[in-house]
Amino acid sequence: MAKMLIKGNEAIVKGALLAGCEAYFGYPITPASEIAEAASVYFPEVGGTFLQAESEVGAINMVYGAAGAGQRVMTASSSPGISLKQEGVSYIAGSELPAVIVDIMRGGPGLGNIAPEQSDYNQVVKGGGHGNYKTIALAPNSAQEMCDLTMLAFELADKYRNPVYVVADGFIGQMMEPVEFPKPNRNIPEKPWAVKGTAETSDNLISSIELDPDDLEEHNRKMQRKYQEMRESEVRYQAYHCDDAEIILIGFGIVSRVIQSAVDELRAQGVKVGMLRPITLFPFPSDVIRQYTDQVSKFWVMELNNGQMVDDVRLAVENRVPVKFHGRMGGNVVGTDEIIEKVLEEESA
Amino acid sequence: MTETNVADKPKTQFKVKDYKSDTKPIWCPGCGDFGVLASLYQALAKLNLPSHEVAIISGIGCSSRLPGYVATYGFNAVHGRILPIATGVKMASPEITVIGTGGDGDGFSIGMGHVPHAARRNVDMTYIVMDNEIYGLTKGQLSPTAHVGDVTKTSAYGSIERPVEPVDLMINVGASFVARANAGDPKQMADLIVQAIQHKGFAFIDALSPCRTFRGIEQKKFINANTFKVEDHDHDPSDKRKALDIADSQEGISTGLLYVEERPPYDELYKDLRDRATQKPVPEIQDILQRYIP
Repeated sequence: MAKMLIKGNEAIVKGALLAGCEAYFGYPITPASEIAEAASVYFPEVGGTFLQAESEVGAINMVYGAAGAGQRVMTASSSPGISLKQEGVSYIAGSELPAVIVDIMRGGPGLGNIAPEQSDYNQVVKGGGHGNYKTIALAPNSAQEMCDLTMLAFELADKYRNPVYVVADGFIGQMMEPVEFPKPNRNIPEKPWAVKGTAETSDNLISSIELDPDDLEEHNRKMQRKYQEMRESEVRYQAYHCDDAEIILIGFGIVSRVIQSAVDELRAQGVKVGMLRPITLFPFPSDVIRQYTDQVSKFWVMELNNGQMVDDVRLAVENRVPVKFHGRMGGNVVGTDEIIEKVLEEESA
Repeated sequence: MTETNVADKPKTQFKVKDYKSDTKPIWCPGCGDFGVLASLYQALAKLNLPSHEVAIISGIGCSSRLPGYVATYGFNAVHGRILPIATGVKMASPEITVIGTGGDGDGFSIGMGHVPHAARRNVDMTYIVMDNEIYGLTKGQLSPTAHVGDVTKTSAYGSIERPVEPVDLMINVGASFVARANAGDPKQMADLIVQAIQHKGFAFIDALSPCRTFRGIEQKKFINANTFKVEDHDHDPSDKRKALDIADSQEGISTGLLYVEERPPYDELYKDLRDRATQKPVPEIQDILQRYIP
């Protein structure tokens, strides 16, 4: 397929359809509304379902229902809407159902604003709702990856029977870039557990309730084993000029694009820096980061929030080398010069 | 409420300008919400309410910007949660005049779960929904009051959903004052807001407030051409069945006071309950256990 100039938000919808997503349920919210708008046009065209729910809570529970019935299903929202969906996400995780949730993050807390932030890191990566669950979180940094990682999200959701987030700052959602759409990949596995309204599935039960303490503990242990498997098999990251780097800058989403430019400029000035970009925020590339502690003098973590991913970096680094943090909030985005200045200031100090 | 400002209380006649805040509305030119805001200023001035005795609670949406434009207490709150937040304000400060202002999406989509409960409890407040049948702030998606066939940004093939009928809904779930008004008729709107604020209990106004940007001039023209006033039809607003009939009139969109019922508001009932509880406290645990001893 030829390249197409397209918004990140729209690339998500195309990716979802290429992955064989059959149903979309959502509610309008800036800066994610283009996803619902594109879904309302394309899903009916290909025989899928589009329904604008009465609320975010309505939308995530529709997802719960369709996922239980065995469909590839998704919803999308932005930060305040994701807060509202958390109860449903917990139920979907507890019931071990596959579903894809897209979060186009905006400024918070509360109403905040509609400008880009990365302040949902904690509520997406750390579970967010109640109970001992985890969700895979994929963090694209381009319109191309909005498509590719959405496709991957459906695959992983089915593989682990677990909700998967595609989590992007508003910048990545709103930015237009050329995207090359891959071939459709509709490898939908058999779902013998689904409630399909057929005689064969009539004994299936979708539920997150386990009244007996031992049963619930065992259910939780089983889920923890699943999360461990994700940690072992699904870590994805991008390393840019890390091989001989003395300082590694870590960032995801739009920040990684800015860091990449800063790395190029700093390298031109003779400063040996590199960038490490987690593509999976959960599972987090902790082992990769830890390996670099033998090589670098320090890490820099840059985020569009008050310092959320930096906690995971610090856990990975185990105090072996210093971890510095620089964050912007409110919709302000770190600039290349700002990053260079931070790094050089620290080195000359 | 403390009465520290007793000195400036007696006989001040407030004017419209006293209710205007320093923030200028940023609604699009031609937005019906300007008419609702102007009518609200008029109503507050007519009732001569000191601005510190009024709290305006809104949700999220174009119309929910309104509290910022009024120099009363205000709370630009959470999407869809006007009514529980207003209930909290009223229970904390029953002497305050509480007004909720929001849109059709805020109230009848994401906030719908709260609507029947505030109405049936008869929380003493005025709830004005600026109904433009579209999501304006998020730029033109389908609203729960949009009509079958409406093409919007999330209904490219035309809406297939039967719309919420706000007035019917509110009468049926127990609102004790239900009115509908055209934002383009500020006199009618101001009169109804005055009556709604004076009404003891849950007063709802469906404010037909056209969206020029996403509904074009046609919506405003349609409203102006198709509304009629119930006063001209000898309507008895105390008759619930007649209210429902005229709400769904085939002659056009009825405006005015459609339904009103005298019923004690929630805060008064709660005050009675509290008095009863104070006089007859909850029984001691021993007294309760005594009942089970043969």
